[in-house]
Amino acid sequence: MIRQVLALAGKDVRLLVRDKGGTFVTFAFPFIYAVFFGLIFASRAGTASKIGIDVVDEDQTAHSAAFVDRLAGADEFDVTRATRKDASDDVRRGRKVAYVIVTKGFGEAAGGILFNKQPKLEVGIDPARQAETAMVQGMLTKYMFEMITSTFTNTAAMTSQIDQAKKLVAADKSLGPARRTMFDRFFNELDRFTTKLHEEEPSKSGSDGNRETTTPDSLAGWQPMDIETTNVAREHAGPKNPYEFSFPQGIIWGVLGCCASFGISLVTERTRGTLARLRVAPIGRVQILGGKATACFVSTLTLATVMIFVGRYVFGVHPGSWWHLAVSLTCIAVAFVGIMMFLSTLGRTERTVSGVSWAVLLGMAMLGGGMVPQFYMPPWMQGMGDISPVKWAILAMEGAIWRGFSTSEMFLPWAVLAGFGVVFFAIGVRGFAWADEG
Amino acid sequence: MRTTGGKTMLRLHKLVKRFGSVLAVDDLSLEARSGEVLGFLGPNGAGKTTTISMVSGLLRPDAGHVELDDGERPERPESRRKIGVAPQALAIYDDLTAEENLRFFGKLALADAGRLRARVDWCLDFVLLTDRRKDYVKTFSGGMKRRLNLAVALVHDPPLLLLDEPTAGVDPQSRNVIFEKILELRTSGRTIVYTTHYMEEAERLCDCVGIIDHGRLLAIDTVDRLIDAHGGKSVVTAVRQDSEERIESSDPIADVVKLQGAGDIVSLRIDRPNLERVFLNLTGRGLRDR
Repeated sequence: MIRQVLALAGKDVRLLVRDKGGTFVTFAFPFIYAVFFGLIFASRAGTASKIGIDVVDEDQTAHSAAFVDRLAGADEFDVTRATRKDASDDVRRGRKVAYVIVTKGFGEAAGGILFNKQPKLEVGIDPARQAETAMVQGMLTKYMFEMITSTFTNTAAMTSQIDQAKKLVAADKSLGPARRTMFDRFFNELDRFTTKLHEEEPSKSGSDGNRETTTPDSLAGWQPMDIETTNVAREHAGPKNPYEFSFPQGIIWGVLGCCASFGISLVTERTRGTLARLRVAPIGRVQILGGKATACFVSTLTLATVMIFVGRYVFGVHPGSWWHLAVSLTCIAVAFVGIMMFLSTLGRTERTVSGVSWAVLLGMAMLGGGMVPQFYMPPWMQGMGDISPVKWAILAMEGAIWRGFSTSEMFLPWAVLAGFGVVFFAIGVRGFAWADEG
Repeated sequence: MRTTGGKTMLRLHKLVKRFGSVLAVDDLSLEARSGEVLGFLGPNGAGKTTTISMVSGLLRPDAGHVELDDGERPERPESRRKIGVAPQALAIYDDLTAEENLRFFGKLALADAGRLRARVDWCLDFVLLTDRRKDYVKTFSGGMKRRLNLAVALVHDPPLLLLDEPTAGVDPQSRNVIFEKILELRTSGRTIVYTTHYMEEAERLCDCVGIIDHGRLLAIDTVDRLIDAHGGKSVVTAVRQDSEERIESSDPIADVVKLQGAGDIVSLRIDRPNLERVFLNLTGRGLRDR
């Protein structure tokens, strides 16, 4: 029996793949939908805000203030000054991408850069946001480099540092005469070089630090500061990126395409006579319908799985719970296999079933948030969405991907989807038997 | 009575089938034997396809029953391994290749992969499609599709074949190939139930012909016996210079000699009774699709 069901399912999947229109609707369109709307949401998010960070200045020195001002003036950051606690809360709740704490001693270290002291920053960031983590660290390094460069090219600051160094050499009793002479000569030469540089390029050696800076090759790999990163697990209150929102909807469109294609294919089998041929084969009706259901189930699940993996590895969709998602996709496949069976009984010709099926499916999609997100709808319409399997399918996927539903919270959408599947399948099987012999 | 064939492979016993108020098959009983081609002739709506559908297990009779050779009923899926059906509509998948079609339908009945492979090869060879085995059916001519439709019926090697107008819409060459293949199948001992509108097909192929109308079996016998019983007399037509004479004759040769003695004849034609005349005599000359 299994062999025959698999043969039937294999045939149907093969026919689906060879039908260019069906393949496009089922497999390509969902990707286009997901990427298209993901890009729209992403571009809107990009124009609305920069990377939001909280900055905490615990050092309260001129150097730390200068560094914070640099960050505040940066194009890449939207900086809010905050306390350590508020900053941590903001990241945890997802209100900010990261926080940056300028720790005590920052100013002293930044002022004594010649003595290999590294100013220290503490960065708190959601570990799930890999891309932003790297970007924030890169930006902080860049602005620290800019500050150091401005110190090197600031004659007064540099002279002050050289004077301080000379005093330290003079005070150090452990140095032998030869080494002391060598250090004195080095710092005197450096002092003369700095003064001469200022006289020759007065316009470029200002201390404003606004000009473009580049890192010399010899400094490659050297870090101007010590960045200590703290992982702050975010309490997710929304999708982490727009694709986590658009991919479930894209999957829904693929599922609807599968559902319609297989529903129509059942009618095509009837009108083309192949269904009669299957019925005179040594197999029962259970196997025939089982084969069709299996093909629809496998195609739906395959489509959803492929989309999830592409979403994960290309578009940064990070499901909160993989096993919740697996059960959700299974329940969705069950629901829409049932709906497929039901759709196949809505007419006796492909044209009728195709038209009525898409009308039904589009109605489900409209009410269920497959076209316009439910939160854009008025409350009464959101309530009506409860009758649409699409609403529960999206909820089940979102619950597993970014809503952070617990297992007990997931049970409701799973049960509703499985219920839809069983009820529609039963109606479909009854209707199918009638239509077949009429 | 009929004397063709061997073992009884199919028995229809007082079959009745209604669709609403329409009595499609009315108390129909007959038998078909191994190595025999049993033709079903009847006007449109006579009940031929309904009968085939009951024999293949597609429809359940309202009364009576169908028995296969060892008393099995076709309603039972396992019993249908013994039946191969080539429906009138081309029941094959256009988007599969010829080989894929055969492999798919074969897999529904045959568990052994080696046997399935051998049967697919045999079927493709039998219907002369081996060199097109990898081509999609949608690229085939009507005749090739008909041959593949027949091959699908044969792929699981059934002893009983139900062929519902297997030459509909094909060119004379393909029709001739199909005739030859059906005769080969008969020679191999298969029982073939063959429905057709074409009298010459029935005369050429069928050992035995049943004429059905309004769901009833009006007559069933060998072609010669049907003609003897229901064809009427031969008609001799003699055309003279200024007149034409037609006479019904039980002995046309003797009557021709008599006509020649009565004067000069410009042309002479003898119309012997045939199956078409039997058909029209039994079912009437009125149109059925008005």
